[in-house]
Amino acid sequence: MIQRAKTSGGNANRLLGLVREVGDTASALWWRFFDWLAQVPWRKLFVIWFLLVLVSATPFGMHKQAVAFIVMSFGLKVLAGGKRKAEIEAREASTQAGEESLERRLAEAQLAALQAQVEPHFLFNTLALIGQLIETDPPQAARIHTHLIEYLRATLPQMRAKGSGTLGRQLDMSRAYLAIMQARMRSRLAVSIDVPHEMMSATFPPMMLQILIENAIKHGLEPKVEGGRIDIRARVESQMMVVEVCDDGVGFNVHAGDGVGLNNVRERLRILYGNRAQLLIEAPFDGGARATIRLPYAPDIFAARAA
Amino acid sequence: MNTTALRGRALIADDEEAMRAQLRSRLHEAWPELEIVAEASNGIEAVALAGQHQPDIVFLDIRMPGLSGIEAARMLFNRCHLVFVTAYDQYAIEAFEQGALDYLLKPVSAERLKTTCARLQTLLGKQPANIERQLSALLLGRPAASAAKPEYLRWIQAVVGNNLRMISTREVLFFRADEKYTRVQTEQSEFLIRKTLKELADELDPDEFWRIHRSTLVRVDAIAEVTRDLRGRQMVTIRNFGEQLEVSRGHTHLFQQM
Repeated sequence: MIQRAKTSGGNANRLLGLVREVGDTASALWWRFFDWLAQVPWRKLFVIWFLLVLVSATPFGMHKQAVAFIVMSFGLKVLAGGKRKAEIEAREASTQAGEESLERRLAEAQLAALQAQVEPHFLFNTLALIGQLIETDPPQAARIHTHLIEYLRATLPQMRAKGSGTLGRQLDMSRAYLAIMQARMRSRLAVSIDVPHEMMSATFPPMMLQILIENAIKHGLEPKVEGGRIDIRARVESQMMVVEVCDDGVGFNVHAGDGVGLNNVRERLRILYGNRAQLLIEAPFDGGARATIRLPYAPDIFAARAA
Repeated sequence: MNTTALRGRALIADDEEAMRAQLRSRLHEAWPELEIVAEASNGIEAVALAGQHQPDIVFLDIRMPGLSGIEAARMLFNRCHLVFVTAYDQYAIEAFEQGALDYLLKPVSAERLKTTCARLQTLLGKQPANIERQLSALLLGRPAASAAKPEYLRWIQAVVGNNLRMISTREVLFFRADEKYTRVQTEQSEFLIRKTLKELADELDPDEFWRIHRSTLVRVDAIAEVTRDLRGRQMVTIRNFGEQLEVSRGHTHLFQQM
């Protein structure tokens, strides 16, 4: 008895599901017809009516239905068609605007990445260091000065040279920054860079590696009394380029925001590569932080010949 | 004033060695009788060395690891005269001027240092001013450490293989209770975490994430539209993502004005 009640309940459910599906399909078809009606030009509609009248004049014709269809479609088109057409057009326009705004957002994100980058604190401290070195160690002062110029050239938007979008160029400017930080932090900062030569000419968006490195130093290593090390590695993994910045600094504060920098990298990666690129942030169990950018590997095919 | 009164003892705290050397040599020119008794390379060391050497004057860099110059100052102000040193700190400089605290800008200019030294010489042997109030105001007002603002959870931790992934709350589209776990959905992937939806709701910024259902917390920014289905239930559509989320009856008021 109970068994049968269950089965009939199951049947009722299945029937209800079927009815709902039929309803959904009917409503979808109706809206498709309505959209068509709203958008179809009057001339085409007249031709269709004319053909309908012709068919209904034959012995098979269902003239009652034909007349009903003509009256109904005329009424709908006159009463609601205009509004619906405007709605459809507005939706299409907004899709198109979405594509345009994507381009605008990329430009904005790139500008933000470049403008926000030179931190006054970094600049003033470096200039103070150069001032001191001029008195005590002029050759070292000249070296830091050169590094600072290279860093600014790559960072300030109006100075950014064309063709800086390779991993090699990005590494060069990061090296300049790291050399300055090493001169300031001395033994508190150890740096290792491990990037295969053939990856240097591969395309890599500007100011991403730099943001990861500055984050590692600012949030991981500068606040750590004994300092630490930063490791920069790159490799190719099944057509994907993997660029990694690790530090053994103070690690994460889960209540501190991820800052403008990381969010900017994420946003630009999404606009440039969609779902094919990724920014991963990890907290290794032995401490510190690891940031990884994965994006499609685009080697420069002319690089080998040029080199 | 006799000459022995001019023989002050000072401590220099700065995390950059070159900057300590610079201040030391400038001080030597401006005030040859001043003895530098110790140099510290972070805030903790500064406090320890000050306790050990009992200097009359401490020069404190503001940005140092361990303890910042201002935090160290709070532990030292009633024992010695303090001078802050900074290369750039717009906020602190304003506060110093309002609170009449002594400060130097890097690179330290000989002129400015001469004024500071003259002032310090008149203060030698006197009780240091009570600057606790100014220092507390300086600590509280600093944008980096505003204690008054509640601290919301900004990173979600999820174990992925042998690693602890850090997911910024800005990446999360929604959280969904999923039996024993909570599913964290981002545009690119999903993670399971042990934190319950209730814990998340308590720790996350309530302006950033809304509870729309007993088992769903959604990021407000990620909502593309709210529609009604055939049965009259409110459904939330997530931007750039296929899944629709149901709004339970108790939470429909969230979208009344929309």
